Amino acid sequence: MTPQIGKLILFVGAMLVAGILVMTRKAWMGALAHGWPSVWRIAKMTVAEARRKRVLQAVVVLVVLIIASLNIVSYLSPVEQARMVKDSGLMSITLFGMLLSIFVGAFMIPHEIESRTIYPILAKPVRRYEFLLGKYLGALIILGVIVAILTVVLVGVLLLQAHVIGVPQAGQPDSKFDAAIPAVIFAAVMSYCALAVLTALIMLISAVSSTTMTVIGAILLWGVGSMQSMLYDLSTKMVGASRFVLWLFYHAVPPLQDFDFRTNVANGIPIDAGAAVQALGAGLLYIIVALLFASLFFENRQV
Amino acid sequence: MRRSRLPWKIAALFALGVYLIGLPIQEAIINRRPEQYRVNAPGSGINLAAISGPTPVLIAALGGFRTVAADLLWLKVDNLWDGGAWYLIPPVMESVVQLDPHFILGWQVYGWHLAYNLNAESVLQTDRRAWLEDGIAVLKRGVALNPKSFEMTFEYAWTLFDRAHDLYRAADAFYYASQQQDAKAYCARMYYRPFEHLLDFDRLWPAMKWAQKQFPDDIPHQKLVARDMDWWRQNWNNKAEHRKQIANENTARQQRAVPFWLYPNDPYWNVCPLCGLPTEKGKPVCENCFAWNFELKQPVRPAQAVR
Repeated sequence: MTPQIGKLILFVGAMLVAGILVMTRKAWMGALAHGWPSVWRIAKMTVAEARRKRVLQAVVVLVVLIIASLNIVSYLSPVEQARMVKDSGLMSITLFGMLLSIFVGAFMIPHEIESRTIYPILAKPVRRYEFLLGKYLGALIILGVIVAILTVVLVGVLLLQAHVIGVPQAGQPDSKFDAAIPAVIFAAVMSYCALAVLTALIMLISAVSSTTMTVIGAILLWGVGSMQSMLYDLSTKMVGASRFVLWLFYHAVPPLQDFDFRTNVANGIPIDAGAAVQALGAGLLYIIVALLFASLFFENRQV
Repeated sequence: MRRSRLPWKIAALFALGVYLIGLPIQEAIINRRPEQYRVNAPGSGINLAAISGPTPVLIAALGGFRTVAADLLWLKVDNLWDGGAWYLIPPVMESVVQLDPHFILGWQVYGWHLAYNLNAESVLQTDRRAWLEDGIAVLKRGVALNPKSFEMTFEYAWTLFDRAHDLYRAADAFYYASQQQDAKAYCARMYYRPFEHLLDFDRLWPAMKWAQKQFPDDIPHQKLVARDMDWWRQNWNNKAEHRKQIANENTARQQRAVPFWLYPNDPYWNVCPLCGLPTEKGKPVCENCFAWNFELKQPVRPAQAVR
């Protein structure tokens, strides 16, 4: 894609989105103005429910212990150890964040329908999209708190190790333990943004299917979204139908890999803030589209 | 009552608009983040389809956890190293660098292991040459995938300089390394070392002057370059001093040493027939490969015919 064609496509897309937003402004502005209190109440209720779940608390404690025990590779050189701790810690945040995102997101709406607790809520003056947005907001708050706790523990481990072995060892003057705390926090925040996109997609799937299908679909989405570079590489080399399938996967699934800055942090590669901003913008658009379709599906669903 | 399809149509148009916005953004991200997307850089020789690791590693790779898989294999390399299984290390290291092509230490150790350790362990000259070429090829791939890392390029240049004695290519690589962001002053100083070894004064002086202009605030660097320039001004034609430097290279590994092959008939050292490196005369054992020179110098008796 040449830059000129890219700008043209961007312009057409932006005009289309802007036109639709202008034409439907009465609908969505009214919904935003009047629906917010209901959305916030449902979000608070979702957080309160999650606080009572023992499984969630147990998983968080487990991950905290895993991150805290990253001192086990202390026989390596400081450079290797810094890489291992940062990489493994961020991997734990991403992996368990993804699992918790599925656990929180996939069970919310189907569970409400199966246990029939949704009826008294919908009997009140609460629109279905408000219910869905409230659940999504609640899930984001829960995930935000969990990711923040895990990041604080990881930063603590890094600071501790930097204090203990941060001084260059004799015979290894260039081997330093570089904690790179700002980069680690940045990578954790970007992981959280990836989880926000994934949770929106989980809401979309859960609006139309059962819990089992939602879990399977979420894992597949996460897997394919995290291997976009491989799809990109392979789609440029394949021919025929396989190329088309890869091309379809590459363009249909949100590129969660754009939010992954673990490679940069682990290897000390400078972080491109522009790419992060672009990833955030694209992620926000994906979230809006996913929640829009989730609302439409949920509106038409028989409960 | 039939529901209106208008919201669906509007949503579909909105999704199309978002998709069109997302296409050039994604293209821009791919161009901005080569470390994430351009794993198979042209000429890198990396083929993700041929990852030679165990199944869990592949699963982790597909899940987007390549770097963690590389870390786990790196721990395996450490265990193999401690166990002395040197010849089992290269395939594992290959997996490490394929899983995380930006793991600079991985590339450095991989290339060094081939070009130095396995090279030194080999007895046949053909094997030694093959290991050295493999090591240099590995480092070259590392440079292709990490062109902005001065450490990676320096390792490549150092192997060319110190192990392969490919001095002009080494000089080019040292220059390239010194041009990278965060490059250290020693990269600039190493740029003129190959020309010292070659006694190529036409290139040595401009290279030294160039190195002097780099890192103007680095006082130790300036002192070292000035010291080297003074030395060469005084000794550029002093063969006795050059020989002294050659002897020093075999003992103290001083880097200004002039290569012995420029003085093949010098009476001050012997060339070891096994490793091809010089040792001061009067010493019975080669200082490089510890071969017993005296025995190796014995005339070879012609084989007797077997009836």
